[in-house]
Amino acid sequence: MKDRNITLHINGEAHSLTVTVNRTLLDVLRDELGMTETKYGCGTGECGACTVLVEGKAVNSCLTLAATMDGKRITTVAGLSDFGRLDHIQQAFVDEAAIQCGYCTPGMVMKTASLLAKNPDPSEAEIRHALEGNICRCTGYEKIVKAVKKAAQTMPGRAAAVEPCKEAVQ
Amino acid sequence: MSEQAIVGTNAPRVDVRDKATGQAQYAADIQLPGMLYGKVVRCWEHAHARVKRLDLSAAAASPGVVRVIGPKDVTPKRYNSSVLDLMVSESMHDMLGDIDDQPIFTEHVKFQGDAICGIIARSEEAAERAAAKIVVEYEPLPVYLTAEASRAPGAVQFTPEKPGNLAFQLPEPMFPNHALGGGDVEGAMRDADIVVEDAFYVPKQKQCQMEPHAYVAKVDSGGRLTCWTSSQMPKLVQRKLAKLFDLPMNLVKIVPTVIGGGFGTRLGMISEPQACAMALAVPGHPVKLQTLREEDWVISPSRHPGKYWMKIGFKRDGTPVACDARFENYKGGYYLDASGTAFTAGAWLGGMYRFPTLRYRGESYFTNQGLTGAYRGYGNPQTNFVLEQLIDRGCAELGADPVEWRKKWHKGVGDDGWCPGVTYPSCALDQCLDRGAAAIGWTEKRRKYARQEGTIRRGVGVAVMNHTSGAMPMLLEHTACTVKLNEDATAEILFACSDMGQGSHTALKQIAAETLGFPFDHVQLSGGTSDVAGFDIGAHASRTIYVGGAAVKKACEEARRQLLERASLQLGVPADQLDIRDKRIFVKADPARGIEAEAITRAGVYHFVDPMTGEPGGVPGQIQGYVSFFAPHNSPPFGASFAEVEVDTETGEVRVIELVNAHDIGRAINPAAVEGQLEGGIQQGLGFVLSEEIDYDAKGRVQNNSFTDYKMFGPEDMPRITTILVEDADPIGPFGAKSVGESGLVSPVGAVANAIFHAIGIQFTEAPITPEKVLKGILEKGVRDYASIRGNR
Repeated sequence: MKDRNITLHINGEAHSLTVTVNRTLLDVLRDELGMTETKYGCGTGECGACTVLVEGKAVNSCLTLAATMDGKRITTVAGLSDFGRLDHIQQAFVDEAAIQCGYCTPGMVMKTASLLAKNPDPSEAEIRHALEGNICRCTGYEKIVKAVKKAAQTMPGRAAAVEPCKEAVQ
Repeated sequence: MSEQAIVGTNAPRVDVRDKATGQAQYAADIQLPGMLYGKVVRCWEHAHARVKRLDLSAAAASPGVVRVIGPKDVTPKRYNSSVLDLMVSESMHDMLGDIDDQPIFTEHVKFQGDAICGIIARSEEAAERAAAKIVVEYEPLPVYLTAEASRAPGAVQFTPEKPGNLAFQLPEPMFPNHALGGGDVEGAMRDADIVVEDAFYVPKQKQCQMEPHAYVAKVDSGGRLTCWTSSQMPKLVQRKLAKLFDLPMNLVKIVPTVIGGGFGTRLGMISEPQACAMALAVPGHPVKLQTLREEDWVISPSRHPGKYWMKIGFKRDGTPVACDARFENYKGGYYLDASGTAFTAGAWLGGMYRFPTLRYRGESYFTNQGLTGAYRGYGNPQTNFVLEQLIDRGCAELGADPVEWRKKWHKGVGDDGWCPGVTYPSCALDQCLDRGAAAIGWTEKRRKYARQEGTIRRGVGVAVMNHTSGAMPMLLEHTACTVKLNEDATAEILFACSDMGQGSHTALKQIAAETLGFPFDHVQLSGGTSDVAGFDIGAHASRTIYVGGAAVKKACEEARRQLLERASLQLGVPADQLDIRDKRIFVKADPARGIEAEAITRAGVYHFVDPMTGEPGGVPGQIQGYVSFFAPHNSPPFGASFAEVEVDTETGEVRVIELVNAHDIGRAINPAAVEGQLEGGIQQGLGFVLSEEIDYDAKGRVQNNSFTDYKMFGPEDMPRITTILVEDADPIGPFGAKSVGESGLVSPVGAVANAIFHAIGIQFTEAPITPEKVLKGILEKGVRDYASIRGNR
């Protein structure tokens, strides 16, 4: 198997390393760089626990080859908080009691970040649709959906007079 | 205390910031210097076979490999990965007949995924490459996937200890004629005017906890074995491993890690024996063993599937006269938990309605399916699917309203609960039924949907359930707890029962702070490692708040007693006239008079004799409260679920529109956490009744060990949820609390099945009720209005 030299810009910091071309981004983050905040849940892109942002877009890091990530900006859940100060999405998950075992949380938070970047005012149906690739077995999604709504409402820079979150179409 | 400042609030979870930022350390996140990586080589091609030849040599020579170990390199002793054998008395153990039948590495493969040998290497990749070089030849054996097949004459015996492959049946003499209950059931049934009876099938459901099982194990230079594990039962795993490896318990240390979901799958051990056997083979080196999702799927136990037959008789006025039932469950290849679910399925049945005569028989047969063990509900969803559908069939025949019938005939205060002789101390099921019915619009919708036209039909259904708060008196309910007060009047609590993500440690901290009269943030609660924490039976049977909370409360009451006694000396007021709030001790009748708790705790720790006078400065000694607590009861919670469904009679699809879960939980210590348990339970209950089942091919190989092929309810599939917390304080539970961990899953099962019955007039006897089964049912029986069923006409 061939090796390749790459540079990953993770949470604002450049990491130059040599990776074997079959290594996934998830493996490199966890095993090579010790960034264990991103979780392995299935290895086949079905559960979303390994979701990170690449250039602001959510990807399953278990399906992404690290060698193809040369020069890319990557954000993990640890990149959202600053010395334990939670960002608005993390805070919304805390406030809405949307975290139980916590294993899906890093992926859920990153998927929310990518959703809100594209759609700052999602309806409940849009939130549920966006989270379809992220499995949670603890919450029944009820409080996670509420947390995403709250994160949308508390997004920094959001105009004071925001429309209330649109309700799902029944 | 008449009013609580902290209990009953949504205090933030103690671990939530770590989890939100990714700092929480699960077992797979652990990195230790010099760490090696383990890989268990498993049999994937057969579910039943003998190992004819095993050659480890090529794998051992593979680059990066440190050791390869097979059956002959590890202890020949066998184990039982579950823990029921440690939770009962010796005489009970002998009567139940629990056995140790699991080898670390096997020469008789009994299910797909059985462990053959282990590889220890310098990297996971090296271990995986070496695994491909293991040479193993099998002699295939007949595969038995049902009880009928495995008990047939001439079948290969799974163990000589259990002839006929009958792993368990309710034992004499505790259960005369191998039955729970008894009496003249046939005679009582003859007196019935209406009899409903059917044979059901309940599915093999998987916990699907999000964190795959992972371990680290290490043997230090003193021969002490340390195992990092996410088991729900660290103290029992300590004893199990000590027994398996012939070590005194002080030489086995368990370090509990953050748990990424349990739901029963971590009750006891899974691959701790293999991880520790590897560590013992390479002393001094930590060995990490991680399982892949598809591996986790086949090696960790699932819910017990099987055949469940039931018959219920009623008088014409609705009076139930008898219930007769038999659950024949399909074990996997090993014994673990064979006795548990076979009993409890009947126990929940016995605890529900006032049947004057009831007989339940429960049996477990070995099969070559994957292992079966604990799964949230532990026999209860199986019983709910069967019992609640037959009750509704009876109601339809009688022309009775299913809510009113249940209100009239459910058991309540003073009746025997799931264990005969242990009576219900509290029951607010009527409130659950009334409030749930109002929330879903029961009366109007039952009438409206009883006559419908068109391809899309709607229905509403109800189901009720009883569960438990801890497993007393059948199983040991023991928890030790220590609370120590620091010199600055903050408290540190040591309590070994795991928090699997439910938020139990947060609620326990609320109980502690409330009892002590300290602010929430001035109390710390740690699970502790096995060498530091006292005994605890583990997180099972929805016991953590009811039993553990009572233990924490008692330990804190002891610390509080000592604190007030010392304050009493200082204030010259009897201790019973003092109270504590926000760490200030004050005279109840004269709140302005008091003393800061810190003045007492500091003087106890920093205790000096005045050099001038020789007088001591206060009472010496650090205040500690300790309790070794045994639960006096099991105060069962009750619940009523209401479902509204829409059935597409052309495609067979069932859409759940709304699910109301009304629960009698005694008292919600942390309401948001309680809601979270009930909401999460609904997702798993809907899966049980509508979509989730592990499928096998004829050779016993799993066909759907992935989240794509195994269908769980996703965020878009979930219905509108209404959670109703009925708080009617239990006289025994801490601050009136009963349990909530498992029970939210149970009654959605029956409620959905009954809503389908209401919508299309057909009952389905096999769960999950998939679109294929619905279509088949419609083809065979035809859609009919609920109003056209005999009793309703």
